Amino acid sequence: MTPFEPILLANVGKPGSHTLAAYEATGGYAGMRKVLAEMTPAQVIELVKASNLRGRGGAGFPTGLKWFFLPKDHPGPIYMCINADESEPGTFNNRILMEDDPHQVLEGIIISCYATRAQTAYIYLRYEYPLSYDRLQAAIDELYAGNLLGKNILGKEFSLDIYLHRGAAAYICGEETGLIESLEGKRAWPRIKPPFPAVEGVFRKPTVVNNIETACCVTQIAARGVDWFKSMGVPADPKNPRDPGSYGPKLYCLSGHVNRPGCYEAPLGLTCRQLIDDFGGGVWKGRKAKAAIPGGISMGLLSESELDTPLDFAGPGKVGCLGLGTAAVVVLDETVSMVDFLHNSCRFFAHESCGQCTPCREGTAWSLTMLNRIRAGKGRLKDLDLLLEIGDTMGIIPGTTICGLSDGAAWPMKNAIRKFRGEFEEYIRRTNPTGYMETAAVEALPVLAHH
Amino acid sequence: MPTVIVDGIEVAIEKGERLNGIQAAERAGIDIPRYCWHPGLSVVASCRMCLVETGTRNPDTGQIAMVPKLVPACQTPATDNTVFVTTSEKVLQSRAMVEEDLLIDHPIDCPICDKAGECYLQDYHFEHGQKQRRADIRPFTSRRREMGSTVTLFVDRCVMCSRCVRFTREISGSAELMVINRGSDEEIDVFPGFPLENKLSGNVVDLCPVGALGDRDFLYKQRVWFMKQHDGVCTGCSTGCSILVEENQDTVYRLKPRENPHVNQWWMCDEGRYGYHHVHSGVRELEVRRRADSGYQNVEWAEALTEIDQKLRKAARLGVLLSPHLTVEEAYLLAKYARSIDTQALVALGPVPVVGEDERFHNGFTIRAEKCPNRRGVEEIVAHFMGRVATHEDLLAEIAAGGLRGVWVSGGYKAPSLDADTAARFDGLEILVVQDMFSSPLWEMATYQLPGAAFAEREGSYVNHADRLQTAQWAIRPPAGVRVEAGIYWRLLGGAGLYKARRVLDEVADTIRYFSVASRPVSPIGVDLKANLLAAATP
Amino acid sequence: MSTAERILTPEMVAAIKDYFPRYPTRQAVTLPALHIVNERLRCVPLAAVVEIAQLLELAPAQVQDTLSFYGFFKQDKPHGLVRAWVCRSISCALRGGEEVLDRMCHAAGTHPGETTTDGKLTIEFAECLGACEYAPCMLAGKTLYKNLTPELGEKFVAQCRAGNGQEPPEKEINGPIVAGGPAVVGSAATNGHRV
Repeated sequence: MTPFEPILLANVGKPGSHTLAAYEATGGYAGMRKVLAEMTPAQVIELVKASNLRGRGGAGFPTGLKWFFLPKDHPGPIYMCINADESEPGTFNNRILMEDDPHQVLEGIIISCYATRAQTAYIYLRYEYPLSYDRLQAAIDELYAGNLLGKNILGKEFSLDIYLHRGAAAYICGEETGLIESLEGKRAWPRIKPPFPAVEGVFRKPTVVNNIETACCVTQIAARGVDWFKSMGVPADPKNPRDPGSYGPKLYCLSGHVNRPGCYEAPLGLTCRQLIDDFGGGVWKGRKAKAAIPGGISMGLLSESELDTPLDFAGPGKVGCLGLGTAAVVVLDETVSMVDFLHNSCRFFAHESCGQCTPCREGTAWSLTMLNRIRAGKGRLKDLDLLLEIGDTMGIIPGTTICGLSDGAAWPMKNAIRKFRGEFEEYIRRTNPTGYMETAAVEALPVLAHH
Repeated sequence: MPTVIVDGIEVAIEKGERLNGIQAAERAGIDIPRYCWHPGLSVVASCRMCLVETGTRNPDTGQIAMVPKLVPACQTPATDNTVFVTTSEKVLQSRAMVEEDLLIDHPIDCPICDKAGECYLQDYHFEHGQKQRRADIRPFTSRRREMGSTVTLFVDRCVMCSRCVRFTREISGSAELMVINRGSDEEIDVFPGFPLENKLSGNVVDLCPVGALGDRDFLYKQRVWFMKQHDGVCTGCSTGCSILVEENQDTVYRLKPRENPHVNQWWMCDEGRYGYHHVHSGVRELEVRRRADSGYQNVEWAEALTEIDQKLRKAARLGVLLSPHLTVEEAYLLAKYARSIDTQALVALGPVPVVGEDERFHNGFTIRAEKCPNRRGVEEIVAHFMGRVATHEDLLAEIAAGGLRGVWVSGGYKAPSLDADTAARFDGLEILVVQDMFSSPLWEMATYQLPGAAFAEREGSYVNHADRLQTAQWAIRPPAGVRVEAGIYWRLLGGAGLYKARRVLDEVADTIRYFSVASRPVSPIGVDLKANLLAAATP
Repeated sequence: MSTAERILTPEMVAAIKDYFPRYPTRQAVTLPALHIVNERLRCVPLAAVVEIAQLLELAPAQVQDTLSFYGFFKQDKPHGLVRAWVCRSISCALRGGEEVLDRMCHAAGTHPGETTTDGKLTIEFAECLGACEYAPCMLAGKTLYKNLTPELGEKFVAQCRAGNGQEPPEKEINGPIVAGGPAVVGSAATNGHRV
């Protein structure tokens, strides 16, 4: 395939790429200056709407539409929250953008705030990214010094403060309203919706929450235009008027059992196999792939035969995965035990469940209990049915939980067991020959340690 | 009229009424199970027990369009043409799943848990739960930690509904309770050194849907299914919270608030809640006594009342002190009795106990400094008979001036209402009848000592600070030897049959304009006496 | 309480107050305040929580509620001079992260979350550190250690215990980097990652 010239990653790898001087030397902030000089906020919203840019944080919600939902003529203040809590296992593209091209991020934030009339932006940054913190703060300081942040930017009536707000290692802070609650200083229990953040968000004021990569796309749309953005990706399905398509470049994270893990940029629509073979140097150690996570562990699993699935917003859903998510692909080779995989997933979600609503709090804990017991050689075939039932009944899709963490917890269970049922059954029969057929409730494993 | 459809039943609601699915279903006689929703607290929709199906009915075509996913009824507004379905397969399965989830890690404590019999978890398990346990079995009993002097916590029974935490943040404003940890490790706790100590603390036990929060006063005292509940009114202060008095075989075990949107919403203060122990005090007066030179002699009620009546008539010039602890009916009857003997009898308001200042909480709930339930009602009765509000000072002045020969002092006070010096000013009367629960300086001077009833033994009405009249039922019979004031006055006035408060209230409402609204049946949440006065004031 | 008994130094109080103008509520300064104290004391004792609550005009229970949610702040005693977070999420687990953690804990004589007896090192497990191209990886202080093996993990533990509280240099511990992409094109020095 023809090599794709990176745009979002264009500056990454160059010396001093994180400095204002280097950024401006290659045309940085020209887009922002043009927007401030020539466009009204409403026109910027229309621009982003026209581009059909969809949020890169995992949900894929059209960004322009999200901005459009803000109440008109609100006295303010309006807040922008930038979700830099990147915690979805397998995902690391935000980190690279913040460390090596913080100004691309900040330019996008400034343009977004101009469009939404936000005067304060909080970048909610996970604590585990110390270099991102230093680089972003230094870049913000450079902007204040150059009148590109603060009062009356470039002499216009547009003022903006950007503050870094550090998290403390909780995955749920990456959920929109979990982030908002955490920012307000409370435990990160996501809020019920409605009201949606656009109406009542942080500090009960209209708020937009956008992802780091999304902000960078805004920068590039302002610099290069809607036509450029829509020249790549997967067009909207003409038969479906509600399909916004999957336009623009995407940062794909590749990790796991490949020769060259890394962050690679390509238009939306790259297939999983292309990512692994053309960018990642193929599966490592001369092995074959058994399965691959398509977009962060929450999205579930592609089996080997599904690796030609295009990684756009519509692709993974067609083969039973939750969606594109963060487009973080993790490859599992043929030696991986799916029981181990599922145990790792259940352990993660049980640890990260915020605990607010019953199906997720108890369902993730129950799943882990069963996986622990299965791994310890005391599993039953019935456990697989229970895991599927838990997976099928918890989440915002059936409506049984407040946020989508439980959908993320459910999909690996559903995909792993449904696509690899034979392996699970074989493991259970082999390790628990006397008890695998038991259907009545069994005694719990003794709890030896709790961490 | 806006109409909501619940399981096919049409429910009419008022225009502008803001109801959720649970409330609309209630009106249709359908109970949607829930743990975390409470009408007095913020909506969090976290327990997920109230999930139902919802949709809208097209007003023109009648067609119903349902939303594909389940929604919490507590956060779904019930507006015109909203449809709720609470019994579909999807809903029933979801409820069973939530119930099962809550039982996975629940301690096997029912036999030793106070909440058994009034526990949401128990009730919903029987009504909505799975038939068999499917989760791994790990029997254990709950840990316990103290929250403060009034409330204890059985940590592992908690279902994380967060009602208690929200109460201390939204209602009492004291924010002592917190959630700690994350996920299935979450527990309720207090910060070390900052226990749950606020005057509304007992309410969190009412709020707890399971046996996690326990009332230390009530703990292990009685099984709830042995207790009977009676509608009452708290007599602790002039707020007059609507309460339930719970008793078994004439022993009061617990007071709980009763919902009253006009007075106390769903709450009561600790002073009122735990202020019933005096009812069963070992030092309550239980015997009728007559003063003699050799000391006090026991007398039978019938003999005593006959003598008292004779001596009062002989004394001719009478005064009565109407305690603000008496019901409206009692105060009226005693005054009427006195006037039946002496048409000029001085009817005065008994001493009104006041402690400190009114105390207002975050949500408006107020504990009042006036520590009696019926000053307003008694005041109006005094005013009716006297043309003014005569007080005990007026009565003492009359005694000093030699104008009174016989005085009847009514009681119901938890502590002596008059000190020794003031009591001494009652000296020199021909006959002094003191009727009260406990001994006091005045009690020791009485010609006749009549043991009086406690609030839980009275049936009758009280008027609170805001002129709201509420009627309490009697909950327990008085201890042997004690007769309720109302019955005595009724008998002295020649009343036939058993005393019935309603009959007396009819007469009071007919006779005294202030009480006229009470001529109609009084609802369990009382009646605003001002309403008719305002109407009457308009020409 | 006399000044001598206070946990928060005037410097910490000033640092916390610097955050007040950024937010419309004091409560929003909770996490920044917790981090300020934690970075200096390597823990946030209960007494500090009370003082933070006073500054933020909150009840101590409200601050503690937030603090305990994260499982990040130790309260009984300070964590080690070096606090090493070893990732256990899927990408690192697939490339041996669990074995690295096990071997390191064995070498240190601790369970995850515990501190060595000499107070020099705490090993924790982390959920996805967001550096999956360097799996298995570990974060200590501001340093990200890449492509670890159990042996390199043991080396890290040994250097921490022999050292004076500084994290060992990255280049001492990193395994061979295999990541592709522009982030690692050229020498490590040119892409800005500390070496």
